Amino acid sequence: MTKLEDQRSISFPVQGMTCASCVSHVENALMELPGVSDVVVNLGTNKASLSFDPTLASITDFQHAISDAGYSVPTQETNLHVSGMTCASCVDHVERALNELPGVTGATVNLGLEKARVQYIPEVVTASQMKRAVRDVGYEAVEQDTAVDNLDRERKVREDEIRRQGRNLIIAGTIGVLVMIGTFYDMLGPFQSIVPKFLSYKWVLGLLTTPIVFGPGRQFFVNSWRGLKHGVTDMNLLYATGIGASYGIAVINTLFPNAGFGGEGATFFESAALLTAFIVLGRWLEALTRGRTSEAIRKLMKLQPKVANIIRNGHEISIPADEVETGDLIAVRPGESIPVDGLVQDGYSAVDESMLTGESLPVEKKAGDPVIGGTINKTGAFKFVATKVGKDSALAQIIKLVEDAQASKAPIQKLADWVAGHFILGVHLLAVLVFIFWFFIGYDLFFDAGSRFILSPFALGDIGVFGFSLLLSVTVLVISCPCAVGLATPSAMMTGTGKAAEFGVLFKGAEAIEKASKIQTIVFDKTGTLTKGEPSVTDIVTNPDDNVPDKSQQMKIVRFTAIAEQNSEHPLGEAIVRGANTNDLDLSAPEWFNSIPGHGVEAKIEGISVLVGNRKLMSERSIDFRALMSQAEKLETEGKTVMFVALDGQPAGLIAVADTLKETSVEAIRRLRQMKLETVMITGDNRRTAEAIARQVGIDQVLAEVLPQDKAEEVKKLQALGKRVAMVGDGVNDAPALAQAEVGIAIGSGTDVAKETGDVILIKSDLNDVIVALEVARATMNKVKQNLFWAFIYNTLGIPLAAGFLYPALRLVVSPEVASAFMAISSVSVTLNTLLLKGFSPSTQRKGKNTGQGTVTANQFSASTTSSD
Amino acid sequence: METENLEKEIARKSAIVYLAITAIMALLFFVITGLMGTYPMVARIGGVMWISLLTLIVSMPLVISYMKKKVKGTKRN
Repeated sequence: MTKLEDQRSISFPVQGMTCASCVSHVENALMELPGVSDVVVNLGTNKASLSFDPTLASITDFQHAISDAGYSVPTQETNLHVSGMTCASCVDHVERALNELPGVTGATVNLGLEKARVQYIPEVVTASQMKRAVRDVGYEAVEQDTAVDNLDRERKVREDEIRRQGRNLIIAGTIGVLVMIGTFYDMLGPFQSIVPKFLSYKWVLGLLTTPIVFGPGRQFFVNSWRGLKHGVTDMNLLYATGIGASYGIAVINTLFPNAGFGGEGATFFESAALLTAFIVLGRWLEALTRGRTSEAIRKLMKLQPKVANIIRNGHEISIPADEVETGDLIAVRPGESIPVDGLVQDGYSAVDESMLTGESLPVEKKAGDPVIGGTINKTGAFKFVATKVGKDSALAQIIKLVEDAQASKAPIQKLADWVAGHFILGVHLLAVLVFIFWFFIGYDLFFDAGSRFILSPFALGDIGVFGFSLLLSVTVLVISCPCAVGLATPSAMMTGTGKAAEFGVLFKGAEAIEKASKIQTIVFDKTGTLTKGEPSVTDIVTNPDDNVPDKSQQMKIVRFTAIAEQNSEHPLGEAIVRGANTNDLDLSAPEWFNSIPGHGVEAKIEGISVLVGNRKLMSERSIDFRALMSQAEKLETEGKTVMFVALDGQPAGLIAVADTLKETSVEAIRRLRQMKLETVMITGDNRRTAEAIARQVGIDQVLAEVLPQDKAEEVKKLQALGKRVAMVGDGVNDAPALAQAEVGIAIGSGTDVAKETGDVILIKSDLNDVIVALEVARATMNKVKQNLFWAFIYNTLGIPLAAGFLYPALRLVVSPEVASAFMAISSVSVTLNTLLLKGFSPSTQRKGKNTGQGTVTANQFSASTTSSD
Repeated sequence: METENLEKEIARKSAIVYLAITAIMALLFFVITGLMGTYPMVARIGGVMWISLLTLIVSMPLVISYMKKKVKGTKRN
């Protein structure tokens, strides 16, 4: 029986209601839930209010019920900057604390970015409640948005952390070295004369170690206790028990040498001091790494210009860039940044877009061309009209996409976090077992006073059963710490996504990187992906019976045909007009023009009768094209559309038109095949045309005559064969196929990236960027695996050694400080290994782009024409 | 307020359980080392302290999360 005081009232928004019956549906759906009463749904305010018993129902239940009824509860997203997290288990604690809040529908925490992305229902939970929940489990949280000011604040927080840990390192490192020198005084040989003797006194070592443990080491005790109070364990606990035990025993053995804890021979002050120093070193390195891996976002944000020169009432005035409105006219001078997205209205210049698209050469801009905010004007001056500002701008969209990708979690990371989270408890349990074994069994059986520490000249001496068992137990705790695991995956993912963005390749999440690295088959949509998506003139064949120079006859045929087709809206006609324009041919108006639907056109040009059309038209007009027929058939076999041209009733030549391959298609496919990937082309074209294109480009398999709506089905069929498939296509038209594939790659989206479906977005229309995407994905995943190896290898090798597995045979013991050094090396290895990824360069950049190989382009047609001579 | 009370109840019940487990482990260790008769008192006390600390560390998170589930589950039913 629920007491009345246990009831809670709540009000939340409901989306999708249009009439009174919707209200009734929502009310009924909510009323059916156990523990729910007083349901009131208001259509005017689009809100539902109710009372409920929190032990019987939750906001998630309401969400599901409303969703099942066909409506939705809108959610919002906020980002919190969470500081104080040090390891994978911290991530787990923060995520759990946030997810447990009523109203939070999902929370993902990224250790590397120190960021929590929270989806929540507004009016049910607030940001301040989220921050409080994070603080309650022992961390600090501040709200974060994407503004530059916040970036600065985040950077300041990070810099403060680097400075704090740096200061701790200086204190612990400097004093730790003194403690080490004092401890090893007897072994200093000739250097003994320059080291004061008192440094080796145990009480001096104790005095030196105390400020390390209670200064730089204090953070571990405070943080671990905070966590323990809430039932959570993290890396701090391992450090605290390791440092605390070493220091505590050392103090007892110094103050009470006869207490039986090993006496003066077992004062591990140097262990406590160096252990702290090494852990702080690891923390400092981690703080440095985190700052560096999110550099990609910072670089992108720095591109956002601060000022725009807009023209109002004929006067140019400078205003903050974020105050520019759509429709404003903006002036840009050489060397200035373009403040927002827009269309050039007047002027001419070259713009460096490399920072956003990866395109190395400046792009020419003239009236009507789009410009992107954040890019840099190089040579000329121009004016443009703002079309997209604020969060709609290309730069803002790209930043959002990269941020989202960096904040997401790859499946491999979820596994690593889970392992690390459970590892700490397991390690403490292991420490208990190790202690019990050596206390009750091992010491009596195997202890030898002559045993030595690994990498140390010291012998253990006459240490008692408790001291010896404690020593091994503490060493197990310290050496087991998987502190680098938390950084291993996110640091590589952040660097990988940032690196990809530099080349105009945007991954939508860490999962996309992981999946892209495992792709076996890559399916290309033909039109607009492998080809340019618009037909162009590929061949011009002249009649061998005409006794005029071939070149001039070709130009004459093209010119006359283009004039005849000028008024035609047929794509083939448009291709010929484009071809003529590219070759600067003079296109006057025809004296007379007639369109012959389904067949072609006829016109009178400069007194000559011109007839352009298909074979049937020529046959009907009794024009004999037998001399050119074999050429026509050959061109058709190559998948080209042939147009017959007759002048004054005589066969003059042929013009072949085809959707041409992009300059980079052949090279890209060749590289993909080198990467041992199976390449497939999918198209609605007939098989003959499709196979002709596939032959030119070097594709392995052709899926021809596939209707647009069936493309996803074809991808499914490939997947059913056990292949991991990536689909490359237009992000809008090929959306179902992109969604069906393991990895959907949307190509040539330009900078309107928010509209795109697909897991990977290529800003340029360059197929080489598919290779960049796959290479970045593979390099990143290799780095993740290497990092996980470095993070775990020391623990895996160290635990048996520290637990004394080899002691019976070798009489060697690992000292806690050596164990902590191993742990620090683990962090250093991961950090350095990740930084190596920053030097990654895709093969397409290393070897230089091979453009034009085996391809025919529209503006090159005059060089590739053929003649029947 | 209600959540706070619930949290307090969980914390109180958990503390009783993990402190009891810790005490049992410590007592067990002390008794066994006493029965064996070969261990000096200092080693026995040191051992009790170390075992208690580690047992507390291991049992606290396990018991607290178990209690959270149990108390919330009971309320729900």
